Amino acid sequence: MTDTLAADVRVDVTSIEKQLADLWRAEKGEGEGAVTRAALWNMIAHTWSSQEHARATQVLALASAAVPQRTIVVQADPDGSAEIESWISANCHLVGGGRQVCSEEVVIRAAGERVHHVPPLVKALLLPDMPVAVWWVGDLPRDHHDYAETLLEPADRLIVDSAQFNGADDLELVSRIAEQTTTAPADLNWARLEEWRAATASLFDPAPMRERLAAIRSLRVTSGGDGSFGATAGALLYVAWMSAQLKADIAFELVSAGEAAGIASVEIEFNDGTKGMIQREASRGVVVAHSDATPAAQLDCIARVLASDTEDLIVRLLKRPEADKVYLKTLKIARRLAA
Amino acid sequence: MPEMRPRFRERSTKTTDHGNARSVLPSHRREHIRAIRAEGQGLRAEGKQESPRSFSIPWPLALGPRPFPPWPSALYTPPMQPNPLREGLEQERVPEASCLVIFGASGDLTQRKLIPGLYSLAHDGLLPAGQTIVGFARAELTDEQFRASMREACDKHARTKPVDEAVWESFARGLFYVSGEFADPAAYERLHQRLREFDATRGTGGRRIYYLAVPPTFFAQVVELLGAEKMVRDPERGGAYTRVIVEKPFGHNLETAKELNRVAVSTFRERQVFRIDHYLGKETVQNLLVLRFANGIFEPFWNRQYIDHVQFTVAESIGVEKRGNYFETAGITRDIIQNHMLQLVSLVAMEPPVAFEADAVRDEKVKVLRALRPIEESVRGQYGEGSVLGEHAVAYRAEEKVAPDSRVETYAALKVFVDNWRWADVPFYVRAGKRLPKRVTDISIHFRPAPYPLFSKLGMKMHANVLAIRIQPDEGISLKFDSKLPGPTVRTAPVSMEFRYATSFGAEPPEAYERLLLETMLGDATLFARRDEIETAWAWLDPLLQRWADDPAPPPLYSAGTWGPEAADELLEKDGRKWRRP
Repeated sequence: MTDTLAADVRVDVTSIEKQLADLWRAEKGEGEGAVTRAALWNMIAHTWSSQEHARATQVLALASAAVPQRTIVVQADPDGSAEIESWISANCHLVGGGRQVCSEEVVIRAAGERVHHVPPLVKALLLPDMPVAVWWVGDLPRDHHDYAETLLEPADRLIVDSAQFNGADDLELVSRIAEQTTTAPADLNWARLEEWRAATASLFDPAPMRERLAAIRSLRVTSGGDGSFGATAGALLYVAWMSAQLKADIAFELVSAGEAAGIASVEIEFNDGTKGMIQREASRGVVVAHSDATPAAQLDCIARVLASDTEDLIVRLLKRPEADKVYLKTLKIARRLAA
Repeated sequence: MPEMRPRFRERSTKTTDHGNARSVLPSHRREHIRAIRAEGQGLRAEGKQESPRSFSIPWPLALGPRPFPPWPSALYTPPMQPNPLREGLEQERVPEASCLVIFGASGDLTQRKLIPGLYSLAHDGLLPAGQTIVGFARAELTDEQFRASMREACDKHARTKPVDEAVWESFARGLFYVSGEFADPAAYERLHQRLREFDATRGTGGRRIYYLAVPPTFFAQVVELLGAEKMVRDPERGGAYTRVIVEKPFGHNLETAKELNRVAVSTFRERQVFRIDHYLGKETVQNLLVLRFANGIFEPFWNRQYIDHVQFTVAESIGVEKRGNYFETAGITRDIIQNHMLQLVSLVAMEPPVAFEADAVRDEKVKVLRALRPIEESVRGQYGEGSVLGEHAVAYRAEEKVAPDSRVETYAALKVFVDNWRWADVPFYVRAGKRLPKRVTDISIHFRPAPYPLFSKLGMKMHANVLAIRIQPDEGISLKFDSKLPGPTVRTAPVSMEFRYATSFGAEPPEAYERLLLETMLGDATLFARRDEIETAWAWLDPLLQRWADDPAPPPLYSAGTWGPEAADELLEKDGRKWRRP
């Protein structure tokens, strides 16, 4: 697939929708009708800085190839001098047969008191009948609550990254949003766990191992990074997931070792002292699980390590049309464990 | 952390006293009841016995000998609980490890579709660790040689390329080979012995799937020897399952189809038999059910009141290539219409099933086939020399292994009626052909015109609404309707509202065989043809095939690269209609 990115066009904020329509009309006039506009989601990326803004723009341009979307990237600087400006562009991808599929992108930069104009402007730009996701890039809002709440109001999905969380209160905030609103949180860090969950599940597929689910004594999860809350958040989510799915509290130990971020290994100990081991084999690009508990589990269960660039994680989260109920169950327990 | 007041749309927390009614029964009990229901439906499919207790009803003689004693329900074993760790994963439905034996493992189908399809399932994490695949064929090969040959097949034909080394390594450890003749009992004994070893070493637990990728002439031999070697387990004894996958052609006519089915049920029960029609594994074909029954807007118009006619096209740009031998005995009607096209007709015409379950869906499809009016109008043709996609194409009779005076049809068009309440007098025009201008499979629903020609009176030509469903390639759905042209005068033009899979979903859909192999392992027969479907289809088509066989005149020729013989156009023109250009 070839990606092309149409140049940004600076437009007046009061006529963004009209300018988008003009853009398509011009495209239709020039081409042979092989350009298709598509959208399955309204995706709002919220950023506080120009670095985050640049990253979000790049990530969503790539993600729109797999999940067509109307992208609205907001850069808000409440402490700057009052101004608001906008650009429009199209992210186009060749899908074969000479057909180009294009997603629209709107960029809004606002500063000072004009920041409060952003939420109503964003609402006006949402495509009807399509779900709304808000990707909160970087720190969760600790100030400017009214602004954040208004921006989140139309959201069906709030995308966060718990690997960037500073402490348990961030989990608490996301968990409260899940419980008290119709906005379903989704976590990039949860998507990173997919191969770990798949490998663990496959270890317990054979009937003799299935019976051992009730005989898990403890979990020992080793993860890399700097030992901060964010670096161990994935391991915490893993333990919470096991507890949620087995409907039982499980003794656990989180260990920090190594520099590579993310989980490196999981050791499962059963009541009879036998063990299950799940490890990442980076060189082969797989997570491998096996156990000495039963002969059936001695065969290696492997799960491919999935692409984990941010755009890949976002695509995986958006390809799920409904809220992830397993994540929501997990989140509740993770919040309790973190506290 | 400052308090963040939730001010978003509030979730309703209202509960009712009945909120937990579904959980009164423990989950394993509910599973048990569901399984008993499923068993009962399987029984109905076999013998049309409504109640599992009605053992006194005589076994219908037409279905051949009853293969096993009546259902001993006391021996029923509840299924294993689902793995809770699979909930919410992409790989939520992973089957238990089994031994899949491919008879005819050296053939083209195994190399092009089956092993690459199984590898792709492993790549996507949809096969269990102990899944074991055993090739069985005449050629003398070791396990290692078989693995090397299958690796080449995957390198060429797997959907996900290049082959992932780690996945392949794990997948290849489950690949084995047994050499033997299809008619040699000793070979089956060796096979049986190896399968038992795998039960012990790979946790396959006695579960067996036999894939008969063999010519129909070997079908009876293989099935009978599997039975004789006690390699087939009666599902009613509970425990491990045995299933058999059968490839088309499901017979040459009604009589041979019945004979094949008789052979199959002499060893297996009907619910153990999975008849593959790969069209049913296509995402777009499955989407027909979703389009019709998951959306509220289509079903009210899906009847004779609003639909003028329906067209089905299965066009191939290629000729018979190296299949001349086979095609000379089959023709396009047996090759495409009897199976793939009648599946499409059934899915378009069927009533809503009571549940999305194998027998509920197949019951409704069979009702459509039973309602087909005997064929009165048909056209056949055979391609002559011509040009397809810029290349010279030889005539059918000049193809390899084709008789120079062949009367086999390479094109057929039928006018079909479904004589029931919903479709009375709505023609379904069905056409299939080789060496047509392009490869395309397409269904178009042509709606009746607006009841009062308001704009025609202003001198404008009105166009019928058409809902077009593209099965392949460039899968999608479009709706054609008239729109006002911008300007001060009222002028109209047809426009198209389109949905394309590639545009909206991007990702490459799985191959049909992948889906069907997985469904067999999971034991879901929804996407497979049932015995009565096959036999009803043949019973309807046989008289036409006989008429053509009795006709000494050769089929009219059409030039390769055209849309078939002129008579096919006339078939619609005399009804005031014409074929839609797909």
